[in-house]
Amino acid sequence: MKGRPNLLSSGRVLLSLTALAIVACARKAPPDVERGADREEPFTVYTVSYPLSYFAERVAPGGVQVVFPVPEGIDPAFWMPSADAIQQFQAADLILLNGAGYARWTGYATLPEERVVVTADGCRESFLRSEDDVRHQHGPEGTHAHSGRAFTTWLDFRLAVCQASRIRDAFVQQMPDRKQSISERFEALERDLLDLDGRLCEVSKAAAGQRLLASHPVYQYLADAYGLSIESLHLEPEQELSQDDVRTLDALLEQHPAKWMLWEGAPLPSTQSALAARGVNVIVFSPAGQKPAEGDFLRVMRENVRGLECATRLTKCP
Amino acid sequence: MKDSLYLAWRYLRHHEVKTLLLVLSLTVFLALPLVMRSMSRAMQQSFLARAEGTPLLLGQKGSSLDLVIEALYFQRKDVEPVKKADVDAIQSTGLGMAIPLRTGLRTQGFPLVGTSLAYFDLRKLRIEKGRGLALIGECILGSEVAEVLELGPGDALLTSPSTLFDLAGVYPLKLDVVGVLEPTQGPDDAAVFVDLKTAWVAEGLGHGHEDLARADADLVLRRQGDTVTANAKLVQYNEITESNRESFHFHGDAASYPVSAVIVVPHDEKSATLLRGRFVDAPTLQIVRPAQVVDSLNAQIFRFERVLQIVVWTVGLATAVMFVLVMALSWKLRAEELRTMTRLGSSRWKALQIMTSEVALMVGASALLAGLVGVLMARYGEPWVQTLILRSS
Repeated sequence: MKGRPNLLSSGRVLLSLTALAIVACARKAPPDVERGADREEPFTVYTVSYPLSYFAERVAPGGVQVVFPVPEGIDPAFWMPSADAIQQFQAADLILLNGAGYARWTGYATLPEERVVVTADGCRESFLRSEDDVRHQHGPEGTHAHSGRAFTTWLDFRLAVCQASRIRDAFVQQMPDRKQSISERFEALERDLLDLDGRLCEVSKAAAGQRLLASHPVYQYLADAYGLSIESLHLEPEQELSQDDVRTLDALLEQHPAKWMLWEGAPLPSTQSALAARGVNVIVFSPAGQKPAEGDFLRVMRENVRGLECATRLTKCP
Repeated sequence: MKDSLYLAWRYLRHHEVKTLLLVLSLTVFLALPLVMRSMSRAMQQSFLARAEGTPLLLGQKGSSLDLVIEALYFQRKDVEPVKKADVDAIQSTGLGMAIPLRTGLRTQGFPLVGTSLAYFDLRKLRIEKGRGLALIGECILGSEVAEVLELGPGDALLTSPSTLFDLAGVYPLKLDVVGVLEPTQGPDDAAVFVDLKTAWVAEGLGHGHEDLARADADLVLRRQGDTVTANAKLVQYNEITESNRESFHFHGDAASYPVSAVIVVPHDEKSATLLRGRFVDAPTLQIVRPAQVVDSLNAQIFRFERVLQIVVWTVGLATAVMFVLVMALSWKLRAEELRTMTRLGSSRWKALQIMTSEVALMVGASALLAGLVGVLMARYGEPWVQTLILRSS
């Protein structure tokens, strides 16, 4: 029998197997760490536009951190956040979106839906369509458009109040014990916004029959809410007017004679001169989608409204 | 006694093949009931643990077991989908959190699961490498998928075409791998996770293509007012990149888009009862407690286990008879050897002692091995059964 494998020197085999079992049994079980453990961090709110950020700050009780992460100089409506920036949104306790197609990135980002509040949803039966919207069709599914809706909803101040009320509701749901403080803060904001609304209603009456131009198609809700007749171009305040721009402007003025033109920011002096030569005056009406260099949303909007009041001779022009 | 044991040990070592075969037969006989019981318990525990981690499940009316299997194990059971609006409706009740699941698609042999970020929290899934989902077109891999396909963050994988022979069907979508999950010894290890919107793009409900407002004339069939009709030359993107991401869009009302099942996490027991009450008379929807469904499945497994026990005991009896037969024949063959022992002065009692020691040693070794198998099954039965279930799915 010598030379054959000694299969039953199995004392050793059994010992090895037993040892293996003991080692295996001693192996650490996979960790089962609880997510979302109690934390000391403040309640964090992320917003996609400055108006929402302002509303949230006005309505939020103490201890709430409102973050508007869009870098300066970038229009939040067209911001393309990095994956890291989106992950910061994901970590927020509450995410405030505008709705109406504003901040298109939210349509292709992964956000925690249960913490997202689309503030304009339900505030209107339907949103206004953007003027430069091209519809198309491929296949049998019917026509559709990509950009679709106009999104500067907060320029209708009643809509802005509705959006702010959604923010209030979200805060109350998260912090029911602070309902009174939240409601009081909301009411103060509501008064400010309704004051602007009232002044614009006066402008609307005074401007009856007057036509306006706009440098950009962002005033749809303003025009719709206050009965203003506004035709838009695609001009940037910091850019010189090109020959094409001048031709388009002249053609538009023929169809839509206007003495006033709304601009998102003060246009270049050369642009102002070109407009003045055609009898068109400039009103700066900033939508304030981005945080202003000075002041806040309310101050910018008060200045905007004052500009319109001046144009309609409701107040003295400075 | 010691010398009898020594002689028995020497005999067994001398006839090692026969001894080994007998020990193995006895080990199987002794271990089989233990293995079967452990597997059955492991299977029941494994099912129950996952089911208990899923408080409520909303789906289309039909087989509740199919719904649970599809939603918990991502095995395609072709359950009728509910609508995204149903997810929103649950969420808007304020009674709990709704986590949508879109299953049914596959990618390179593994199930593709479209869901929301809350799913990862619910299942306590942690990212081992890379990061979580942030944009459509991204995916994260279960640990087993990453291991088998040898993929990690920065790699890409294609979804499997759902209509292989349909040229007009949906083409595969290239997904960017951005993360790999830690192993969980569960079905999540063998799945690929994407955002719900990505799942809809993969199944053809959303797509991206060149902007038709700026498209070449040869792509346009007709322009009528503000409507542009493209011809068949318009190519849809099969990959979502930074440059074309904005062109991806969905047709129709997103509220009507399909969701295979909805995991509902009620805030408390009262909310759970209220939620269940709302669907008692629902004509097309059902809300089930997966733990209850799995309990009834476990009852079936238990019944099956009792049938198996009869089989096992029959096999065991056959093994025992075979063992006795082998030993009887062996002793008969060893009659001359026993006579020699008697001539050398050994008593018949001593010879019996030696033979009994041989049997005792073999039975003892078998019992030890069977015990070892039992310990290993108790410790590793559950993950092993999980792996078996996963691999057979």
